Amino acid sequence: MRDIIIKITGTSGQGIISSGDILSYATARKGYYVTTYRAFPSEIRGDGKCYYTLRISEHKALTATGDIDILICLDKDTIFECINKIKPNGILIYDKDYTGEIETDRKDLIIYPIPTTSIAKELNSERSRNMVSLGIVVEVLKNLHIEEQILKDIELRYRLKPQEVIDSNKNALNAGIKYAKEQLERKDSYDKTEMKQTGAKLIMSGNEAIGLAALVSGCRFFAGYPITPATEIMEWLAKELPKFGGKMVQCEDEIAAINYALGASYAGVKSMTATSGPGFSLMQEAIGLASMAELPVVIADVQRCGPSTGVPTKTEQSDLFAAMYGTHGDCPKIVLAPMDVADCFYQTINAFNFAEQYQVPVIILSDASLGPRRECVDLIDIEKLKIVNRQKPTLKEGDIYNRYEDTQTGISPITSPGDMYGEHVITGLEHTQSNAPTPEPETHRKMTEKRFRKLETAAGQFSKAKTYGDEDASIGIISWGSTSGPVFEAIDKAHGKGIKVQALYPRTLYPLPTDWIKDFVKNKDVIIVIEANYNAQFKSTIVERCTHINRGTEVIEFLKYDGTPFTPEEILDEIEKVSQIQDEKDTIKTNKHTHF
Amino acid sequence: MEAADYKGKVKSSWCPGCGNHAVNTALRKAMARLGYKTHETAIVSGIGCSSRFPFFMSTYGFHSIHGRALPVAIGLKQANPKINVIAVGGDGDGLSIGGNHFIHAGRKNPNITYIMMDNEIYALTKGQCSPTSRIGTTTKCNPYAWTADRINPVLMALSFNASYVARSYSGDIQQLEELIYGGLVHKGFSFIHVISPCVQYNKVSSFEKIKELVRNLPENHDTSDRANAMKYAFAPEGLYTGVFYESIRPTYEERYQDVISKAKQIAGENYTIDDVIKQFK
Ligand SMILES: Cc1ncc(C[n+]2csc(CCOP(=O)(O)OP(=O)(O)O)c2C)c(N)n1
Ligand code: SF4
Ligand SMILES: [Mg+2]
Repeated sequence: MRDIIIKITGTSGQGIISSGDILSYATARKGYYVTTYRAFPSEIRGDGKCYYTLRISEHKALTATGDIDILICLDKDTIFECINKIKPNGILIYDKDYTGEIETDRKDLIIYPIPTTSIAKELNSERSRNMVSLGIVVEVLKNLHIEEQILKDIELRYRLKPQEVIDSNKNALNAGIKYAKEQLERKDSYDKTEMKQTGAKLIMSGNEAIGLAALVSGCRFFAGYPITPATEIMEWLAKELPKFGGKMVQCEDEIAAINYALGASYAGVKSMTATSGPGFSLMQEAIGLASMAELPVVIADVQRCGPSTGVPTKTEQSDLFAAMYGTHGDCPKIVLAPMDVADCFYQTINAFNFAEQYQVPVIILSDASLGPRRECVDLIDIEKLKIVNRQKPTLKEGDIYNRYEDTQTGISPITSPGDMYGEHVITGLEHTQSNAPTPEPETHRKMTEKRFRKLETAAGQFSKAKTYGDEDASIGIISWGSTSGPVFEAIDKAHGKGIKVQALYPRTLYPLPTDWIKDFVKNKDVIIVIEANYNAQFKSTIVERCTHINRGTEVIEFLKYDGTPFTPEEILDEIEKVSQIQDEKDTIKTNKHTHF
Repeated sequence: MEAADYKGKVKSSWCPGCGNHAVNTALRKAMARLGYKTHETAIVSGIGCSSRFPFFMSTYGFHSIHGRALPVAIGLKQANPKINVIAVGGDGDGLSIGGNHFIHAGRKNPNITYIMMDNEIYALTKGQCSPTSRIGTTTKCNPYAWTADRINPVLMALSFNASYVARSYSGDIQQLEELIYGGLVHKGFSFIHVISPCVQYNKVSSFEKIKELVRNLPENHDTSDRANAMKYAFAPEGLYTGVFYESIRPTYEERYQDVISKAKQIAGENYTIDDVIKQFK
């Protein structure tokens, strides 16, 4: 077996997330690929349910979804909720002291009722049921040899906690391993599971990748207001920025946050903020200010279900319109959509480069399925990254400096307070090249064009669209953001069934790179636009912006808006359906031919 | 530097007789006394007649959006504490749409000066009631009567622990200059409430009316006594002017510098991006 899906479930407060994190770090550090999916309620305690899925594999896995090999349940409800997702001959591990012996119709499963509570109680730490259970898993998968690494990871995770905490976690893990070794009558064959270790990798969450890229880009100012599922970016930068002399400030609201960031950017410091839907709505006016006053700023929107407070912990891709058009007025900006955790890193590097170079707000659209998800990322070569800084004028005494000089590229060199001879006033009012406010029609027209010209200049710099699958496929998928995992996996599965599909991820969503799309659709009969929202926001953008697709190629949508991410199976079903319809159409065509 | 050197390229658009002219003059005079360099000074404002202020100066300036002068100013100062940062704006800008930021500026104590030009009206939008308009005021938006009580900005600032709180009025340019000077010199968040009549849209609170109301704080007022300062701010007998309160505590920037020291101590001298990446290995 080269690929294992493990799911840990229970009630929030039972340590589901920490045990899942420890297991994913340990397996990644051991040299396997890991990708994860977390779902949890927004309350830390209460009766909300927590789920942590990990997929451990030899090759980079695209999703953590799919049928479960090993299910570990710390409470009763989640057993019945998840049991039908276990593969035939898969394992269910549960705490029989906590839930009582359970009955099930699934006779094909291997079920290990463990006296987890009693084992934990014997160690005087009933709270360590999660670690005892983890110990059982470690022994079940003993051929992955993660025992030593997991003990190291416990130490690392709790290094700032008192020694007792580290000890009780380690003891519980060891007790679990010991029980499995000595008392568990093995009926499964997972002890034979072996995988190649593929060497050093990084493991991080999408949110951490955004934070790391900000730091690497030279961002030294972050202002934010806590909101699920974006808070992790702020927490991570709060810890790291000051180590580099940078600053993370927590503000009174998101309006303040983005305006702090704009003040800091005006001071010449690379600045950012991060939020989710409700906060993103509050920031819109200031995004327009950044666009009009031509101030670099990066805004990460880790989308969740909306509108309003929506479902704070669940995922959706429904802020695309808000990102592209949420601000009043003609508002040049750039919107980027990373596809996975690694791409969160690289698109954030791009975001800062674009913001600084083109003096525009850049929005990064992540989401609740991508932000908190931990995943392996190939080693990053910092030296090779291109980091761009804003263009400054060279000024001497007596020079006249026009802040908004109307240049060929649209970019006007920028000074900051502290720079001699560069004094100027920036404003959200329409202004002349020398930044004097004016309502004059010709100026508004020209300056609007100047600001948008920067996007044309930028267009050549966008990172190439990602394609995946068979180039000669007649079925195309165009999608964006976190759907890439399930889409690519579905394409592989379709390929296995003899259906050719190719996907396109433009990654830059605004300004829309219509040429790439035009190129991509050329040989396609049908395009499925896949996205997690009700309004088919990306599809309508494509159809509206790329009028050429309307001729010849059929564009259909495949949407999901229940708060859960797409699964490869759902997408495969859709592909098969579309493929069948295409075949039928072809047959009709051919029949016609034979008639003539 | 002379006061005139701080005059900007853009010609003032304020009405003749507007109270804001005096504030501009007083600030420029105070800056000249301190020898502020134009390239090391930034005037930040929101939106309103009074918020046009930065355009009439030769320093750096940021004319932002309605109500957001303070967050922009605080962010700027935190990002580069070497810059002299002065936030300016109106009563609507600072007490209504931006009221929340005013609260938090007081408690954070950034080392900036905030001058509020209070004309008890929204002037730029041609005369609607503001949070400092008097009960009974009528405007086109409330042709019968204005129905909300007034905010007392000095009392507000005192209660949020602003570390320098003063009030002046546009009719007394000398006092204005002194109080602004005091605010600029003060280390921490200094708030100067300036009653600055609008000759166009506020016939109630005219120069004459305000002149009748203002009186100097008693000579023996102890400016370190916050409770007593509040008493004078409350005073029904008239509008006290002068320094209500002054105290020194670490600024927002200094406190963050402590955070940086702590973080650097934990990280160690030679902490680099490579060490950051190691966390993920
Ligand atoms: C978000 C937003 N809402 C409303 C306005 C319209 N507006 C501009 S200035 C202003 C009030 C200004 O009053 P104040 O701050 O007291 O300044 P003054 O003109 O009296 O000096 C209003 C309501 C705006 N520019 N932005
Ligand atoms: S309208 Fe009033 S506040 Fe505005 S400039 Fe004229 S007098 Fe001054
Ligand atoms: Mg006013």
